[in-house]
Amino acid sequence: MEPTSVTSSGNNFNISDLTDDEQKLLKSIQEKKHLLLLEIQELKREIEEVTNELEGIDIGDENKPDPKAKQISIGRKKFNMDPKKGIEYLIEHGLLQNTAEDVARFLFQGEGLNKTAIGDYLGERNDFNVAVLKAFVNLHEFTDMILVQALRQFLWSFRLPGEAQKIDRMMECFAERYCSLNSGVFVNTDTCYVLSFAIIMLNTSLHNPSVKDKPTTERFIQMNRGINDGGNLPEELLTNLYDNIKKEPFKIPEDDGNDLMHTFFNPVKEGWLMKQGGRVKSWKRRWFILNDNCLYYFQYTTDKEPKGIIPLENIQVREVSNEKTKPNCFELFSAGSSEIIKACKVDSDGKVVEGRHNVYRMAAASVEEKDEWINSVRASINDNPFYDMLAARRKNATGSSGRAR
Amino acid sequence: MGLSLSSLFNKLFGKKNIRILMVGLDAAGKTTILYKLKLGEIVTTIPTIGFNVESVEYKNISFTVWDVGGQDKIRPLWRHYFQNTQGLIFVVDSNDRERVAEAKDELSKMLQEDDLREALLLVFANKQDLPNAMSCADITDALGLQNMRNKKWYIQGATATAGTGLYEGLDWLSNELGK
Repeated sequence: MEPTSVTSSGNNFNISDLTDDEQKLLKSIQEKKHLLLLEIQELKREIEEVTNELEGIDIGDENKPDPKAKQISIGRKKFNMDPKKGIEYLIEHGLLQNTAEDVARFLFQGEGLNKTAIGDYLGERNDFNVAVLKAFVNLHEFTDMILVQALRQFLWSFRLPGEAQKIDRMMECFAERYCSLNSGVFVNTDTCYVLSFAIIMLNTSLHNPSVKDKPTTERFIQMNRGINDGGNLPEELLTNLYDNIKKEPFKIPEDDGNDLMHTFFNPVKEGWLMKQGGRVKSWKRRWFILNDNCLYYFQYTTDKEPKGIIPLENIQVREVSNEKTKPNCFELFSAGSSEIIKACKVDSDGKVVEGRHNVYRMAAASVEEKDEWINSVRASINDNPFYDMLAARRKNATGSSGRAR
Repeated sequence: MGLSLSSLFNKLFGKKNIRILMVGLDAAGKTTILYKLKLGEIVTTIPTIGFNVESVEYKNISFTVWDVGGQDKIRPLWRHYFQNTQGLIFVVDSNDRERVAEAKDELSKMLQEDDLREALLLVFANKQDLPNAMSCADITDALGLQNMRNKKWYIQGATATAGTGLYEGLDWLSNELGK
């Protein structure tokens, strides 16, 4: 691998015998060789990774969540971070059809989706998103509801964005749906649309703390003059609407997508392991979940929040054969220059503190389980060079005492 | 010289409350501007369902900025809010040459409103960081700002995502309002 090794290859060859051009050529060949070797190494590593992955799939046929459920879960997470990418992912993997109706159904069911992300997606101006918005509104059932009731239900299904143009499009679609299910309530769809828009303005004026001058009933009535196909809506209707909104603002819809539960849903691997303490070397039984390049452990399987989190970054995993107290041991150890593994845990007072492990040593119930854990963890490890660089810099900055803190 | 007692009082001690409407096509950068202006203040407000509205304190003036827009059909509703509006912020995506004519239409529609006749016009030529962005001079031409009679206007280049140009715009507004 040493690019200069050609000169000492044993025969009578001497580099100074070559012309300048030949030397240059040689150098470029050497560099190419070096790069190719690196590439081969990279390929080897990739093959190893894929083999590991394949092994993981083989094991999991019976007791592992099926890959489709896993992909849906990934798609949901992607959606919550970037709605457009999430939908693209789900369509690419054949989990959603590339139709407005199918995407709308997915958003309407909304399981595991962040409602702000749904609102962002429905608010986009391009043709497909507008078609999804229409299909989404058409999944709502508003028959025999009064307008404000229907609006409350509608605004619970996603988080309304704050941009006027988006609200405009959404209220227009809403009004069309409402009027098609409740014919005769309004003279025409436009009246319903403008009134719905006025209700959102009212909610903003009455409940947004940035708005200083709060409108009165009279002002609300005045504002809606002439919106009923040139005429006025009954004052009683407007007064009732005003009182209704004043008494009860539109609720911020509850979010499904921010729930930690979904992080622990369809994990790569989960199960009981014995874990050795960081300072006190006692063994405790913990429920481990491996997902999203993180290892989480819990006291009980039913716990909603983990006791500890170990990001699988810049660490390595290895088998431990010299542990006298337990069989089937393996451990995580730091791959970078810092000795302490970056992790956190909840201490006895319930506070979140930094972990104090140089190694995390675990014991599985059987040899097979131990191997499965080692393989799964290895496949989930992220190498982040920046973390290592940062640790090295810190070490330099804090002097030779060297605890990366 | 001809200050009434109350306006003199306001000038010396009071905080002015100014209502500003912010207009512009989709994706011109209104929301980003709104939240960049708010940045640096401690935000403890409970989120509200509805339009983006922020109040920004600057140079002893409290600006309440509303994101306004939508189709012509809902304009009568806004008209109600136009009353007592001292300022109009118009945001243009300087990089979107295709829609600048549409932006011009939107602006002239707003300026036809009787209640906005007196309002100051601040134009943010946004997204100046993009390589293909039109200059302030280009946008002045495209929007026909030169031809506006009896209108106090000012154009300010801005990059909302970085926050540049925004306070320069507010400076102009507060200077004009203080006159």
